[in-house]
Amino acid sequence: MPGGMDLKNEVFQSSTCALCGACLDWCPYIANMEDHLVMRFDCNVGEGRCYAVCPRTYADWQAIGDRYLPDTPRNIEIGPYFNVFRVKAAAGIKGQQDGGTVSNLVKTIMEDELAQAVLLTGSEDHVTPEPFLAVDIDDIEKAAGSRFLASPGLRKIIEAQANKVQKLAVVGRPCQIQALRKMDFNRRPDKPPLDLITIGLFCMWSLGWDFNEYLQKNFPGEKILSLGIPQHGFVVKTDKGEHILPLDEVKKFNKAGCGYCLDMTSELADISVGAFEAEKGWNTVIVRSGKGQELLDKAVEKDYLICADYPEEELNRLKGASIGKKNRNLNNIQAAFDKGVKPFIDLNSEMYAQVRKLAEGMVK
Amino acid sequence: MEWMITADEPGRTYLMQGNEAIARGALEAGIRFAAAYPGSPSSEILAMLGHVAEKMDLYAEWSTNETCALEACLGASFARVRSLCIMKQNGLLVVGDALHSASLSGVKGGLVLVVADDPSAHSSTNEFDSRHQARSAGLPMLEPANMQEAKDMVKWGYELSEQLQQLVMVRTVTRINHGRSSVSLGELPKEKPDPVTIGEWDRMVAINWFKDAQIAKIDQAKSIFETSPFNEYKGPEEPDMIIVTCGTGWLYSSEAVEALGLRDRIGILKIGTTYPLPEDFIVKHLLKTKKVLVIEEVDPFLEQNIAGIIAYHPELQVELLGRYGGKAMPRNGELNPDIVRNTLARLTGTAFTGPETAVIPPEEAVALPARELTFCAGCPHRASFFLLKQTLRIQEGQGVVMGDIGCYTMGGQRAGHYLYNFLCCMGGGINAAEGMGQLTRFGFKQPVLALAGDSTFFHSCLPGLVNAKYHDSNMLFVVLDNSATAMTGFQPHPGIGQTAMGKAAEPISIKKVAEAIGCPVTVADPFDISGTTSKVYDLLKQPGLKVLILKQECATLVVRKREKPRVWVDQELCRGDDCGCGRFCSRIWGCPGNIWDYEAGKAKIDEVVCVGCGVCISLCPAGAIKMEGGGACG
Amino acid sequence: MGKELVKDPLNIIICGVGGQGNILATELLASALVEKGYFTTVGETYGASQRGGSVMSHVRISAANEYGVLIPLGQADIIVSFEPTDTLRVARDYANKSTLILTDSRPNYPLGVLIGEAVYPSMEAIETELKKLSREVMIIEATRMAVEAGNSQATNILLMGSLTALPQVPLTAEDYDKVMEQRFKGEALELNRKVFKIGYEHINR
Repeated sequence: MPGGMDLKNEVFQSSTCALCGACLDWCPYIANMEDHLVMRFDCNVGEGRCYAVCPRTYADWQAIGDRYLPDTPRNIEIGPYFNVFRVKAAAGIKGQQDGGTVSNLVKTIMEDELAQAVLLTGSEDHVTPEPFLAVDIDDIEKAAGSRFLASPGLRKIIEAQANKVQKLAVVGRPCQIQALRKMDFNRRPDKPPLDLITIGLFCMWSLGWDFNEYLQKNFPGEKILSLGIPQHGFVVKTDKGEHILPLDEVKKFNKAGCGYCLDMTSELADISVGAFEAEKGWNTVIVRSGKGQELLDKAVEKDYLICADYPEEELNRLKGASIGKKNRNLNNIQAAFDKGVKPFIDLNSEMYAQVRKLAEGMVK
Repeated sequence: MEWMITADEPGRTYLMQGNEAIARGALEAGIRFAAAYPGSPSSEILAMLGHVAEKMDLYAEWSTNETCALEACLGASFARVRSLCIMKQNGLLVVGDALHSASLSGVKGGLVLVVADDPSAHSSTNEFDSRHQARSAGLPMLEPANMQEAKDMVKWGYELSEQLQQLVMVRTVTRINHGRSSVSLGELPKEKPDPVTIGEWDRMVAINWFKDAQIAKIDQAKSIFETSPFNEYKGPEEPDMIIVTCGTGWLYSSEAVEALGLRDRIGILKIGTTYPLPEDFIVKHLLKTKKVLVIEEVDPFLEQNIAGIIAYHPELQVELLGRYGGKAMPRNGELNPDIVRNTLARLTGTAFTGPETAVIPPEEAVALPARELTFCAGCPHRASFFLLKQTLRIQEGQGVVMGDIGCYTMGGQRAGHYLYNFLCCMGGGINAAEGMGQLTRFGFKQPVLALAGDSTFFHSCLPGLVNAKYHDSNMLFVVLDNSATAMTGFQPHPGIGQTAMGKAAEPISIKKVAEAIGCPVTVADPFDISGTTSKVYDLLKQPGLKVLILKQECATLVVRKREKPRVWVDQELCRGDDCGCGRFCSRIWGCPGNIWDYEAGKAKIDEVVCVGCGVCISLCPAGAIKMEGGGACG
Repeated sequence: MGKELVKDPLNIIICGVGGQGNILATELLASALVEKGYFTTVGETYGASQRGGSVMSHVRISAANEYGVLIPLGQADIIVSFEPTDTLRVARDYANKSTLILTDSRPNYPLGVLIGEAVYPSMEAIETELKKLSREVMIIEATRMAVEAGNSQATNILLMGSLTALPQVPLTAEDYDKVMEQRFKGEALELNRKVFKIGYEHINR
């Protein structure tokens, strides 16, 4: 397992970094300048843990999937799952983005003490992400709403460890769930494991932090209240009104690292939550593990969430969207490897060949 | 020892350091003026004279640079006051123009210029042989072979200087300056003459009209040297070989000849007046032999002058050996008794058996960790280099950094994270940065930085700063102001507020000087790592010349001034080997105060060495380092 | 009642890490020897010593001749060292089978060791090699004894006490005391006398 300088050369400098935050703060050599990671000082460690946890370095994802979701039925399009549901909050939560599902799952975790702390991302200015460890139910409100700028959330893991947190819940993007699994998979045998509940988010892409400058330049003097993609178009709600930006305009600020991601639905999480495209106010929830199912059941029992069946054609649409992302990004990855980026997946494996085939089938 | 150099005990013998002997020699000659710029191995001389100046009725000055020092001595000399100027080899090159001009104008009151070379550059960045300058400038030069001669030559140098009305150079090397041996004291003058009145038509001018006079002085020196007691021959009348030697070579040669039992075969011709050479004296002795080996420190200077003599005297038939071409002696590097003895043994086919030593096979030998130089605990340079390196990495503009000369020169090595790319001489950094900073017009995009210490700033950066501002070069000039000329031993400079004689002086503010030139100046505390990193980051985004003064006192000064706080590591909080993959504080920050507790597997503070600057506290990612008590730092 | 110079020249090396008071101790020793009428030279390597470098002083004593300040390789008769790895470093170059070595045992960790890149060897390993290189090795816990006496900074004088006690060194305790009296006053003199005696008596047990 190579070390810090390899991480610098292969990930930081080749722009494949997803800003999951796993290496940040854990290692004091690594620093971030806004959303850009740098190695402050040369590290001479031959085998580094930073390299071991990074979702953009080589991993045997199949083996990782087998370890953490051993009994879950496999699925190429949206990852291993037991069930897919339509879910929404029984009562609204202030600031909720779509169905308010994540906030209520977190509320359930806290009330039932399923974890000692929950890693969430807040945003005071509603734009710049600020990850934090939540311990009170009041904290949930701070984190309500989607974050569009990439949040290096996992930088908070070291704080959790310092606070002697042994049971932790994490709400994170697919890259962050991947990093968490790698963190445990490559854990040093003498180190205690973290008892995790992972709530994975759906993610097509994240924005770079230069988007903030763009907003300030285009809407000078306005206070941003929320960002969202309710139907089509990117809606920026400010104290002066609502602005709609064409998605293509916004996608110019996609983080380069997102272009190498092959996971739209957080395929390694206990439970994954995303928007339900067909109807406003609902979430898509994918249950992947017993832990995930238990959590959902508890939330429903407490009357926090309402759970309903998931329509077949929506599931197909979801799977199609996921394959679409995988296929597009497989092309990006191929191009990167051709340019000399060190391969972090085996492009020739059976799994990716199948993805390609499915993608082709969709076009027809 | 100051009491030694001022002791009114003629005839008494003391163990004296070469530098002490030089100071004593000058005092015995009745100097009333001394000026120098610090430079190892010569710094002790002016320091001592400064401390005894009041008592010994003289004026001693740490000049802002060597040119100021030499030219100040010329001013004193004009009024027929005897003056002593001291510098190291680099300093002699700094005063090149002044030296050659002074040689042309001559002097009135005796002026002895002591130049201390540093063979093998033990305390220098480079090794130069100053003696070439004596020849280039046409100045008589003496080279002491031991500490007694160091004193006697300096003293006699004043007589010679006034006889010739010319500057006299005395060239020493580290082993003489910093070595100690027995020196017999001479008499101290009871009275010293006052400065004379300069008449309207009195002159000391350096114009070519005086060239013939200058050459005549060299001829006069040569005839004086022919009978000098500093030159002597010891050995058989028909030696197989004559060793011609000067300076430290004399005692090494004597010891080598004894050790090899060659007293009856080898003669030693000691030369103390190395320029101009006493030609007749040398020819007389070289006629005795067919083989000559020259032993001297640094360059084959004496050797090639002897080669000249041999060429001009066809009656001599000698094979000449020495440093030239590295054939007999090594081409460069300091002399020592082993090199001399081994060369002599080889050339004469004599075997040498020393005392029996053990040979340890490499696989059995204990692996010894090397001793690297680093900044002292609490040194502001450590903080400055750390934050500059960090900023350049974060900025990723691939900044180019020009270094300069001082304690911070070590920042080019591990202690400073190998920060700088370029090093020349004093004041070289800012000018190199100015030049590179003009290349933006050709598409050069990298940020350019120059570093200089506070003493270096006054020594040689002022013209460079004017140049950079006037031509608006795109660069950041960083002054590392630790309020000290630390590397050479804390001699005061114009920013400090104290003179060589211990008097208070109005310190000159670097900030005001830079602002007066019109530069935008930012002052920051290098101990505030994150704050100053942001400042540097922002400055690097701006075009044009920017000046940043990183101001924080040298740790060795702070330690003397206030009670130090206690700093320790809370090992509960310390992540030990989990800090990244191991030890940010000692591995990267690298202060000798941050050590490792091997038993506990955690970081620890060496409380003897720690100065209490508190910077590591702000850096520890776990907040495990604590402080209590003590006075404020900086 | 004095001691004779048994070997001419007698070569002594005093070494350690910068900042340990090496220079002062050597200067006092050499001054005492000059007072006794010996040709004495001292050669020193320092300059960057403050900043963690090694410091070495060569002392050469002769009744007959003046010598250059440097001791030839393999010709040190006595090595007195303040720091164990420096003892070994110097002994490898300058010791011979008749050399006597006196060393403090307290380590001074160089930068490489502090940051975990190099390992500091054990005193046992150092002692084993030193014994192979010399006639006799004496390990003295000089720093510990100086701290017990009241000041770790006086380790240098303590070691000078031990050195003076050696039969090869043509000085008596009184000779050394005379120069100390010239240099120190009051409390400083008392402390130095105290530690000198501790070092001296350590050898003469």
